[in-house]
Amino acid sequence: MKSRWGSLLIGPFLISAALLFGSQFVFLEQSFHRDLRFGQQDAQWSLANFGQVVSDPYYLHALWLTTYISLAVALVCIIVGFPIAKVLARQRSRWTTALLSAIVLTSFITTVIQIFGLIIIFRADGPVNELLRFLGVTGRSFELIGTPLGVILGLVYASFGFAVMLMYGIVLTIPVSLDEAAAVHGASRLRILLRVVLPLSAPGLIIAFLTIFNSCMGSFTSAALLGGGRVLTLPVLIERTMLLDVKYGIAGTLAGLLLVFVVVLNLVSVAILRRFRATRMVSV
Amino acid sequence: MSAGAFPAGSAIASRGGSAAQPTARRRIRAGKLVTILYFVVVFSILLAPLVVVVGGSFSAPPNENVVMSYVQFPPERLTLEWYERIPSTQLRALGVSFLLALAVAVAAGLIGVPAAFGLVRGRLIVPRTAVSAIMRAPLQIPHVVTGMAFLQLYYVIGDRWGGYLQGTAAGLFLAHLFMATPFVVGSVGAVLQRFNPRLEEAATILGASQWRTFRRVTLPVIMPGVFTGLLYAFIVSFVDVPAAIFLASPQAMTFPVELFHAMEQDFTPSSLASASLAAAFAIVLVYAAQRFLGLDALLRSRTK
Repeated sequence: MKSRWGSLLIGPFLISAALLFGSQFVFLEQSFHRDLRFGQQDAQWSLANFGQVVSDPYYLHALWLTTYISLAVALVCIIVGFPIAKVLARQRSRWTTALLSAIVLTSFITTVIQIFGLIIIFRADGPVNELLRFLGVTGRSFELIGTPLGVILGLVYASFGFAVMLMYGIVLTIPVSLDEAAAVHGASRLRILLRVVLPLSAPGLIIAFLTIFNSCMGSFTSAALLGGGRVLTLPVLIERTMLLDVKYGIAGTLAGLLLVFVVVLNLVSVAILRRFRATRMVSV
Repeated sequence: MSAGAFPAGSAIASRGGSAAQPTARRRIRAGKLVTILYFVVVFSILLAPLVVVVGGSFSAPPNENVVMSYVQFPPERLTLEWYERIPSTQLRALGVSFLLALAVAVAAGLIGVPAAFGLVRGRLIVPRTAVSAIMRAPLQIPHVVTGMAFLQLYYVIGDRWGGYLQGTAAGLFLAHLFMATPFVVGSVGAVLQRFNPRLEEAATILGASQWRTFRRVTLPVIMPGVFTGLLYAFIVSFVDVPAAIFLASPQAMTFPVELFHAMEQDFTPSSLASASLAAAFAIVLVYAAQRFLGLDALLRSRTK
């Protein structure tokens, strides 16, 4: 009887495997043929594309830019989001549902809409620059578009809800009884946070950090719209190389490198999780 | 746990005498104030763009001479004019996105639900972790890579066998299906793993047939997991830019990509109006999800 459940898997597995290998095989194969531009590929196998990408400062700069922007975004999301997640998970109030809904809502709306709003807010005559002028911070108005800072801000908006959801789940796995035990012994709320909740959620936070970092490395929309063609992160570069430059081989190579990077990072976080699980430090 | 529920103050008081009690209480109150202030600041910043978009969509230019494409915020006069002026391409794109996301969610359900049953309950010939890894792989692939990969795949298919999928709704559907299915497998699988087999045993002992047991016992228990998965599948497709940017065309244009292009050129308050419609729809979805599924079910499957 049990084997019948197994047979349910055959169809879905074949479809999933076909989509996975079909899509991933083609561009990875292309990346091993020298790109002749205009969508043409050399018939011979070679590592020429990889050589070109690795030796070209243009691509190396993109990699560096993407990495440091993603690091900044992940840091901001974790640091700003953790107190929110902790309070939402621990202190139930009549606001909890509304606030959690707001968090979920931000991830149900396409990033483009949020960036619409950001652009209006940071416009030369928008509220932020009006405020800066009012406060007497004279000089140039704050530019959002075309700066790494703008891209970081846009990515924070795109990732913040997800980050809070991840950390909310992490805090929920820590038994409340530990907080209570600390409280009985006279610990203040701040002390409970710093000495009980934070150390116990540290492994989960490392995973959350890596997850956010990872998703930022592959994030396209914010970087494309707020980068204004000047902040070329790896995902933006992949899109441009493919659609504007029509260099399929190079685009495939860049995508391949991004993919390897992201998958390796995922394996690292799984390994970290395993280790913490083995030492029974987390139950995520 | 609320501040009042636990006698933190009294624990200190028993040590420090009665004078310590007001200080401790004041400290708790100050802490609460800081918390509230922090929440107000963070949520204001987080929701500000959305408020600006919706507010801006109702803003009328201050007088007739002002260029029409100018967005006023905060609006001085309100108007519904921009809603009447939403370009037909954007309305069409909203419809396409909705239908596409619906089709993706249904198909992801048809693939993902049986897959989850097979993965959790089946006796497999191949290692379970390998099958699971392949089914979950799309979660790890950045959507930009997915979009580019499917475009290259469609080019190759076109070259070898003729016919084309790039720029068609079918092409978008396949790529979104690829991205969305793991969410269904994940959320249904998680519910199945927590499923108490005794429920089914009890039904069987009481004489229910296998089909009846499945329909009356198993299905109701896993339904929240199924709907959560479908909801995420829908959303993955509905908000996607990075994959659709490669695969959409004027013939098959999704709403986020249409907005993306609108923003690259110029954006009139009409774009804000159509964005507000999409946002209003998202609010209805979140509300319905919270009512019928519960936020915890939604968040739990997200943390996996």
